[in-house]
Amino acid sequence: MIVHINHISQSKKGGKKSQLGELASLVTGTLVDLVENGQLDARIAPSLRIHLDWIQYKTNFRDPVIIRRTTDTSGKSLALAEVAIDLRQCNAAELPLQLERAVKSVNSPGANAAGDAGRFYLDEYRPYRDCMIWDFNRLFWRHLGDWEAASGRGFEAALPSGSSDANRPDAVKDSVVEFWDLLKELDGKGQLPAEIPALEIGVGSGTRAAAWMDGFQAYDKEQGTTYYDRIQFLLGDYSPDTLARAVASLERHAGHVTAAPLDALNPFKALSSYRFKVMYVHLTNVYDNLPFDDLIRRDGKLYLVEVRAYLSSAAVERLTADFGIKREDLHSAVKTLLDGGPHAVFPGDKGVSFWRCFWDYFKLEERLRALDDREEAHVPPGLSWSHLEDLLAEAPEDVRFHVSRGAAESFANTLPLLHPRGYLQVQDIFVEDMDEYRKGFKGPGKLDGSLVTWVNGALLRAVGARAGYDVHFRPFTHRPGSKTTVMYTTQRP
Amino acid sequence: MTLPLLPTTVIGSYSMPEWLERAKNDYLARRLSKRDLDDMHDAVRKAAIKDQESAGIDIVTDGELQRDNMIDYFTERIPGVQVDLGSKRFYYDFYDTEVRTKLGTGSLGLTEEIKFLKRFTEHSTKVSVSGPHTLVKRIRNSFYKDEAEFALDLGKALNRELKEMVRAGATELQIDEPYYSGFPEDLPWAVKAINACTEGVDAHVTLHICYGNRYGKPSFEGSYKYLFPTILDARVHALSLEFARRGEDDIQLFKEFKAPFTLGLGVIDVKTQDIESPALVADRIRRALEVVPAERLVINPDCGCVHLPRDVAFAKLTAMVDGTKIVRTELGK
Repeated sequence: MIVHINHISQSKKGGKKSQLGELASLVTGTLVDLVENGQLDARIAPSLRIHLDWIQYKTNFRDPVIIRRTTDTSGKSLALAEVAIDLRQCNAAELPLQLERAVKSVNSPGANAAGDAGRFYLDEYRPYRDCMIWDFNRLFWRHLGDWEAASGRGFEAALPSGSSDANRPDAVKDSVVEFWDLLKELDGKGQLPAEIPALEIGVGSGTRAAAWMDGFQAYDKEQGTTYYDRIQFLLGDYSPDTLARAVASLERHAGHVTAAPLDALNPFKALSSYRFKVMYVHLTNVYDNLPFDDLIRRDGKLYLVEVRAYLSSAAVERLTADFGIKREDLHSAVKTLLDGGPHAVFPGDKGVSFWRCFWDYFKLEERLRALDDREEAHVPPGLSWSHLEDLLAEAPEDVRFHVSRGAAESFANTLPLLHPRGYLQVQDIFVEDMDEYRKGFKGPGKLDGSLVTWVNGALLRAVGARAGYDVHFRPFTHRPGSKTTVMYTTQRP
Repeated sequence: MTLPLLPTTVIGSYSMPEWLERAKNDYLARRLSKRDLDDMHDAVRKAAIKDQESAGIDIVTDGELQRDNMIDYFTERIPGVQVDLGSKRFYYDFYDTEVRTKLGTGSLGLTEEIKFLKRFTEHSTKVSVSGPHTLVKRIRNSFYKDEAEFALDLGKALNRELKEMVRAGATELQIDEPYYSGFPEDLPWAVKAINACTEGVDAHVTLHICYGNRYGKPSFEGSYKYLFPTILDARVHALSLEFARRGEDDIQLFKEFKAPFTLGLGVIDVKTQDIESPALVADRIRRALEVVPAERLVINPDCGCVHLPRDVAFAKLTAMVDGTKIVRTELGK
């Protein structure tokens, strides 16, 4: 049996034993007891892995103790099994029993770690990328106003800083000056294009784009240049409503602004006429909200994490009690919610309330499916197995990591837009190297009605390298304590 | 061998198979022997020749797939350039290189390419070398007083090699200088280095100047205006330029400056997988004919097909040949 400690916490003060330490001791003590009492099947023990996690998101998709069984590529059970414990959610009184139940359930197909026989499954096992969390994510962005009205706060208020870091005036100013410097250099060489396209993907309310254009116009004037006259600012977003709102907030720059309806996964498709022309691309908090997969490497073998959505029997009881909905009608209620929005399930506030409760109770079981060597089906469009090989070459032997397929696809499909001297900047939460995955949980978690996952920056570095770009990360310094990072590209020699 | 009017040829490397990329990386990681890699190289070179012949290309190359990139293949061979062979893991990256002494006078061994071509094709053939300006930009100079002096000596080293290649049967040579477009201020000394390179070389020499094709994207942007009039001093027979991706406006420079060169007209955009139609190729040639007479036009892609999938590269070359045939027919040839 191997115990993995998947977090590094340095919050312990003085020589006192930390609460996490006590819980971890309890885990190992309980496991030894189970072995000695003969309650842990001796055939299971050698291939059992125990994972101690500390999940940074208070609201997430996991119970305090879960099991992960493994299957081969066809779905047939394999010996390797894992028990994963979120020490943040655990308490000492319940942990021994939870652990005992989990360990005993490993070899009982159909049993879950919580011993909850009435668990209500919403779906089959699927890779994260195909899981219904993405339907809920879309639902959130489609009905954002309803959610905000019910919660009494804007979605940006759910961010750790209470607002988007990218909108901070000093950050915008730095970005403006950096861009102006580039234009000045090109101008000096007689290489300044007649038209200077800049692109924001995922424009939100347009606040950041407006601040950037205001700042650029002012700085350009201050420097006595006329680069602003050549700027063509492209606002890229999939939502026409969002675009209209953003365009309105940039009305004072009307002659320089173009709305570009596009899919964030493939900006090139909508903007191919700008191939090799765009001087500046900016994205904030887009990549962390795009589909991903989780891969696990154990003993040199790769596994794909598959998830199955469920509600606990307690959650079902509460939903039926609070909303008068029968257990057998839950599937159709979810379908109605996802297809038609909250008001299609119940009129008025009750529909939104149902949605919010449902999302709160929504959980995921996990299992690991072995991957065939070089199984291309799980490589994001536009990438090849070589990208994953590059990534795995620098990864620890035993690791669970994201394949940020949406981010990688978007990145790969944005790079061809860049002018040879152009660059792309992304402000988001990044895992900068693969070793970081051993040190902490990187999502997914729930963020209001949407979800959030750290972006595998190492994967983007591998993608960039194959496309002719070096990818760099620098900390966001304009707000102390910010976890966001600025990723930017430079041309590879 | 007599060439038709509007002869077609290729530029740079042919499509690089992904399996060969992996093999090259395996070789660097010492998981594959040099002998095995050489065998693979020979096989893909033969296949590249065959593809060009099948597409109907008049002047073929060996596809250059034995070259990791346009720099390392030469820096490894130039006597006096020190190469840190442990400095790259991915074949396409560049080695760290440095020159600390005056360059030597030994052979670069490029005549092998001529012999290989002569053995495996009856078509007219061409071999390309990277030019002194391009090489200077990638080799750390710790000996020569400046880049101009270094480039001149590189030009002389390449000159010895080109003459050897002519002795081995080369009639068509090409010098690639994609970095001109990024450093237009270097052009006066870069042209002197080219002239050192071509001095006394008894072959038809083309100077290829593009905007870069590293990773299938341009390294620079701008206009070919920077070339003129300085480039008129270059002692080469032809200039091969990139027009398909950038548009044909700069062809007018040939007229404006009465450029005496044959023009290698880029009619295939190698930075997109969209396949040109023969009609589009023909259109591009017709527009060039308004400025340059047919006798001084060679038809080629903008640059190498190295980053294109093989089927796309082949289809593009076929379209180029078919488009050229349309114009030849219109010209009664």
